[in-house]
Amino acid sequence: MKRINAIVLLSTLTAPVLAADSARPRGVGPEFSKFYKDVESFTCISHPSIKLSRTQINDDYCDCPDGSDEPGTAACTYLSTYSPPQPVPGAPDGTSNISIALPGFYCKNRGHIPNYIPHQFVNDGVCDYEICCDGSEEYDGVGGIKCPDKCGEIGIEWKKLDEIKQKSMSVALKKKEEMLKTAQELKAALETTISKTRDEVENLQVRADDLERKYNEIERRERGKLVQSKGKGSKVTVLAGLAKQRVEQLRESLVSVVEKKNALKQRVEELEYILATFKEERNPNFNDEGVKRAVKAWEDYAAAKVESDESAQDRDIEDISKPDHESDDGINWAEWETEPEETDVDALYKFEEYLPVSLREWLHKKLVDMRIMLVENGILADNANSGSESKTVTTSRQAFQSVKDEHSSKAASLSQFEKDLEKDFGPSDVFRALTGHCVSTDSGEYEYELCWMDKTMQKSKKGGGNTGMGKFVRFDKLEVDEEIGADGKGVGQGERITMMYENGQHCWNGPNRQTTVVLACYEKDEIWKVVEQEKCMYRMDVGTPAVCEKQTSGKKAEGKDEL
Amino acid sequence: MHVSSNLSVQRTACLVLVALSCLFTPAISVKYENFKTCDQAGFCKRNRQYADRAVAAGSSWDVPYQISPDTLSWKNGLLQGTILKTINEDGETVRLPITISFLESGSARVVIDEEKRQKGEIGLRHNSKAKKQRYNEAESWAIVGGLAPSTTATEERDAKKSVVKYGKDGQFEAVITFTPFGIDFKRGAITEVKLNDRGLLNVEHWRPKTDKLEPEKKGGEEETPVLEVPAQEDESTWWDESFGGSTDSKPRGPESVGLDITFPGYSHVYGIPEHSGPLSLKETRATEGNYQDPYRLYNADVFEYIIDSPMTLYGAIPFMQAHRKDSTVGVFWLNAAETWIDVIKEKEAHNPLSLGIGSKTDTKTHWFSESGLVDVFVFLGPTPKDVTKAYGELTGYTQLPQEFAIAYHQCRWNYNTDEDVKDVDRKMSKHQIPYDVIWLDIEYTHEKEYFTWDPLNFPNPTGMLAQLDQSERKLVAIIDPHIKNTNNYHIVDELKKKGLAVHNKDGNIYEGWCWPGSSHWIDCFNPAAITWWKSLFQYSAFKGSADNLFIWNDMNEPSVFNGPETTMPKDNLHYGDWEHRDVHNINGMTFHNATYQALLSRKKGEHKRPFVLTRSFYSGSQRLGAMWTGDNEAKWDHLAAAFPMILNLGIAGYPFAGADVGGFFGNPEKELLTRWYQAGAFYPFFRGHAHIDTRRREPYLAGEPYTGIISRALRLRYSLLPVWYTAFHIASVDGTPIIRPHFFEYPSDETGFATDDQFFIGSTGLLVHPVVTEGAESVEMYIPDTEVYYDYFDYKGYEGKGVHTIEAPLDKTPLLMQGGHIIPRKDRPRRSSGLMKFDPYTIVIVLSIAGTATGELYVDDGDSFDYESGAYIHRSFDFENGVLESKNIGVKGKLTDKYLKTMKNVGVEKIIVVGAPLEWKEKTTVKVGKTEASVEYHAGEPDKAPWFLVKKPKIAIGEDWKIEI
Repeated sequence: MKRINAIVLLSTLTAPVLAADSARPRGVGPEFSKFYKDVESFTCISHPSIKLSRTQINDDYCDCPDGSDEPGTAACTYLSTYSPPQPVPGAPDGTSNISIALPGFYCKNRGHIPNYIPHQFVNDGVCDYEICCDGSEEYDGVGGIKCPDKCGEIGIEWKKLDEIKQKSMSVALKKKEEMLKTAQELKAALETTISKTRDEVENLQVRADDLERKYNEIERRERGKLVQSKGKGSKVTVLAGLAKQRVEQLRESLVSVVEKKNALKQRVEELEYILATFKEERNPNFNDEGVKRAVKAWEDYAAAKVESDESAQDRDIEDISKPDHESDDGINWAEWETEPEETDVDALYKFEEYLPVSLREWLHKKLVDMRIMLVENGILADNANSGSESKTVTTSRQAFQSVKDEHSSKAASLSQFEKDLEKDFGPSDVFRALTGHCVSTDSGEYEYELCWMDKTMQKSKKGGGNTGMGKFVRFDKLEVDEEIGADGKGVGQGERITMMYENGQHCWNGPNRQTTVVLACYEKDEIWKVVEQEKCMYRMDVGTPAVCEKQTSGKKAEGKDEL
Repeated sequence: MHVSSNLSVQRTACLVLVALSCLFTPAISVKYENFKTCDQAGFCKRNRQYADRAVAAGSSWDVPYQISPDTLSWKNGLLQGTILKTINEDGETVRLPITISFLESGSARVVIDEEKRQKGEIGLRHNSKAKKQRYNEAESWAIVGGLAPSTTATEERDAKKSVVKYGKDGQFEAVITFTPFGIDFKRGAITEVKLNDRGLLNVEHWRPKTDKLEPEKKGGEEETPVLEVPAQEDESTWWDESFGGSTDSKPRGPESVGLDITFPGYSHVYGIPEHSGPLSLKETRATEGNYQDPYRLYNADVFEYIIDSPMTLYGAIPFMQAHRKDSTVGVFWLNAAETWIDVIKEKEAHNPLSLGIGSKTDTKTHWFSESGLVDVFVFLGPTPKDVTKAYGELTGYTQLPQEFAIAYHQCRWNYNTDEDVKDVDRKMSKHQIPYDVIWLDIEYTHEKEYFTWDPLNFPNPTGMLAQLDQSERKLVAIIDPHIKNTNNYHIVDELKKKGLAVHNKDGNIYEGWCWPGSSHWIDCFNPAAITWWKSLFQYSAFKGSADNLFIWNDMNEPSVFNGPETTMPKDNLHYGDWEHRDVHNINGMTFHNATYQALLSRKKGEHKRPFVLTRSFYSGSQRLGAMWTGDNEAKWDHLAAAFPMILNLGIAGYPFAGADVGGFFGNPEKELLTRWYQAGAFYPFFRGHAHIDTRRREPYLAGEPYTGIISRALRLRYSLLPVWYTAFHIASVDGTPIIRPHFFEYPSDETGFATDDQFFIGSTGLLVHPVVTEGAESVEMYIPDTEVYYDYFDYKGYEGKGVHTIEAPLDKTPLLMQGGHIIPRKDRPRRSSGLMKFDPYTIVIVLSIAGTATGELYVDDGDSFDYESGAYIHRSFDFENGVLESKNIGVKGKLTDKYLKTMKNVGVEKIIVVGAPLEWKEKTTVKVGKTEASVEYHAGEPDKAPWFLVKKPKIAIGEDWKIEI
């Protein structure tokens, strides 16, 4: 090992003479070593036309327009889309606004996992052990900094933690298995329920159809019965008189209610105006909690207020309030207050009485049929509603109705079950197992709660009510880039499943609260971190076995190569 | 009834509309009614009326002030005597001692006091304990030097006047006329400044309150003249004055001082910050397009201030420069009380026969303060630099800040928790966006108790500071002068026990409201209060603090939520029984000073430069740290307003200034935020800040292309830090502004005298015209000379005096390099300025038409005071006849060698010559001392300059060297 190092050192010093294959220039990762094999010259990786001498590699001067001649220094860091542009001959658009060819400075991290560190961290006087445990990026000792290799201890520590993590991982995977099982069971149970319910619904449908037919038949017969008007003219006129009086009273009280309503509406408007002005003119810089709460309550109120167009209703009320004789739809009381003449129908009833019995019955049957026909065609009024229903009709109607009700309630739960079955519960339906469960955590002055598939909440420790931070709407995905703590907590890097909770409580000067719940694998359900990323837009980093996946040992194997 | 119900429906709709529009467009504008207009400030009204009477009287205006010649004495550059003010028709007079000092620096000073008050021979109303003298301690706060009297000045006197010759080679002359009193200041034969030319001198002498007014009101006999009081004099504002529900008891009655100062032949005046208007001050009396009220100086927390207004703001510097072609003069009105300044410009034909040709404009100013002395300094230039230097000799120059302080500051009201701070810190690193300082607004405290941390949200401040320190980043936490009036808070207990708070007019501890609710205010006029304040910042006392924690002083006007004009009652009493009225404008500086002193003495042996940001300021605050322009808004017009304000602060001796990037109130659109970062990269103090009710706007949240463009603006600032630091060094030794307006750099070019939308950075020839309008694709940039200019980013050339159109799509800041300069920069991006310390330089030589260039670089350790012992590098770069030479222009001190040793590996990685001559095309190497470096010549594209590259010349920045091309 030592000997190789010595050779490497020599080779960089005396350049082309001694060239070992392993002598990658400083900062070059194994996947790029093929570009640095030539012992005498170097060709810029993305600019084959630019040939440099081997001594120009890592000479702390940036020659290649893609930065590939300085894998081990910070000399090419100004080549960046994040830096102010300057002319760079040979670069694609002639400026320094480009992405360089190398992913970073390669730290070998012997005893641990190799890694790339951004070139701008090279020789800046900071030991970035989290990325470069061997301290190799600070080889120049700028400002007297020394970064001794700590890969040994960091590696051991990491391995220890990794073991714990692996253990935790297997616990997590076991839990996930259980969850999947639970989820499957729940799903299977649901499916059983659905098929059972579906049968029931079908049976009920058959029964309901049957009962409906019967009921219709009975009702049809019943409708044929002639009902003689038992009303007496005098009573109608009395009733008309009373009704007219009553209607007048009701109209008067309606008018006075409308007046009161208008007066109150005006007061509400005044109050709203006062509050709107108050909100506008207050000094938010004084940040008075009481004032803020009041303004917030006002804002919520104003936001929740439905601005319905009441003008049509008002017009109706106005119309109703008019005395009958002024209104097109008003009742013509005069018509009712006088005795009605004898009608043709009365004559018809009387006519029957003069016929022989046999003829009378035949005629009666015909007349009933005709009447039904007329009723059914809307020519004659149906008297089924006007009088009392016969007992047979009632019984049959009730029998039909109860089965029909049962059917629709079953059908409703069936569709609920079906919806539930179709609902997205995440990959492999795993979150079905968590439905109805909640986790919470303390964070600063708040306690946060996450209810799976349901809602997120914030509870202040300083008092005050709970604040809804959103209701679950869907699953989504998010590219994250966070650290994973030594305890294995943290969402890490890469694409993560997220749960979107939206339409929470409306926010002060902002949108409705919403929460993006970012999920990462952990041995139990736990909220790790809650941050308000944007005003009233929260992000919750949450660990749960539900998103654990069996790892293919890719990254680890890569690490072992270097050991 | 139906009709009325219909009407009410309509009204509802209308009201709802009003209510809704209030809801959704937060109508932001200043609360005018909270602040006085001139008419509502008794002494302002009186002095304006006095001026009106003088104008009305014309040549018959009888000036009641005259010097009694027999009182005059001349000694050691000092002319002393007494002005007699005639106060009634009986010829009764009041004695006003006058001292005119001629200083070695070439400045002159005129002080007028009131004898009766000097001797304390007056009575105060309401049994007031206030001091009887006129306030005479402003000098002890504002002035730190330059008062040495002239040893060469000479005086000649006759019966009517006294003539003093002073200044270098006796080039200046003051002609003091006795009757009426007036002084003309001349440079050579030309009168440049006139005092009391218009006869507006007004020293409201002390008088007892008499009740003689009573009979006047009786029986409507208004025509009966009251002999004691001249008919025009209006006594209504002499005694108790009320405004906005509070009454000022005014125990000394009327006591204002006023004086007119005329600049003959000058049509531009600048300065007297802090106001939100243009650099070149507007006229203030009535005519169209001008302000109605005078410029006001009365430090106040003006909520949602409007732009283009003479309204007062948070700070006051009563220093004005007047400029005409090839001549600059200045005046400094040393008075700490509420002050107003009227500005009028009068055109008069120089010669009636010349028909406008040679007609000149006189700028006539009228200054008046509510109390205190007439104490005015006159500077005769003749260059803007001479004037700012002379002013700085008196009030001090900008403290050279720690280098981090001129890098980028990331602030927000508020970062909610220590984890939040660490997260932002990590994300900035992750996105490779440089920043140096993250800030905590008031919410970090435990219930607004300063020197405490919120135990729930900031449980581990030490861990937070340690993480920041890893990449040499800093934290700034806010500490304000209001101390929460509560139980179990040791700070307020000590404040009360030690009697170090401001008192009310009755001598009891003053109580008012601010962030914490009921509060008391530390009285930093009291030396004992400063001592106590220092003790609070000891690391051992301020738990959770560390050496990378610095301080922000806000609300030090002072802001008192329930006070008159959101500040303290004027009859409050400070240390020494001075009324708040006397000292108001200095109050903020005393608090800033106490915090500065405290940071200097946090630990024995620690010798780091403090950093304290202040909102309120006065002449002299520039010695203590940075200021910012307060609570602006996320609107384009506020972005545009910031540069005129910062330029004005710069020429008024306070160059370490900036505005909140992004705008404090409201949510900026992404384009506005991006443009604001591009502009902010040219603020001497560069901080992004946001109100608590706004959405998060850290640069990495903007998304592409905005984050990339913002990052480029930030990295541009960082790569130019050597230029900025050098400019700060220059400002710290001679007061030259850091960003410089056109008139300052081109005092002969009249076209540029009012230009305030573009400016130069230091003496580097970098000319920038930030985009401050929405949807801009280009800007009209003014080039003031015939030198060649190149685009900073692509070397496109511009030539010819006049306006040029410069492309300015969203990703570009219009920035030109003037030919003839050498610009040192550091192109390697790092996480913070501290991590760039040992990075190599890139030197850009921008050749002039004549093929020459010069430049300058100042470097030190960026944090300690070792530079005072020579621990710095100061080089001049000259390019002439194909030779670039670096020469030492520093003075060797006892720490020089030690410092140079630490810098011996800091070199130059490349030299870029913009505008390289064609004959260099064939060159492959150049001589660097005894060795060689390889070179490349790049022919420019059409309309872009050819440039020449010297690669890796292997030279150290701290050493002498020569490169021969």
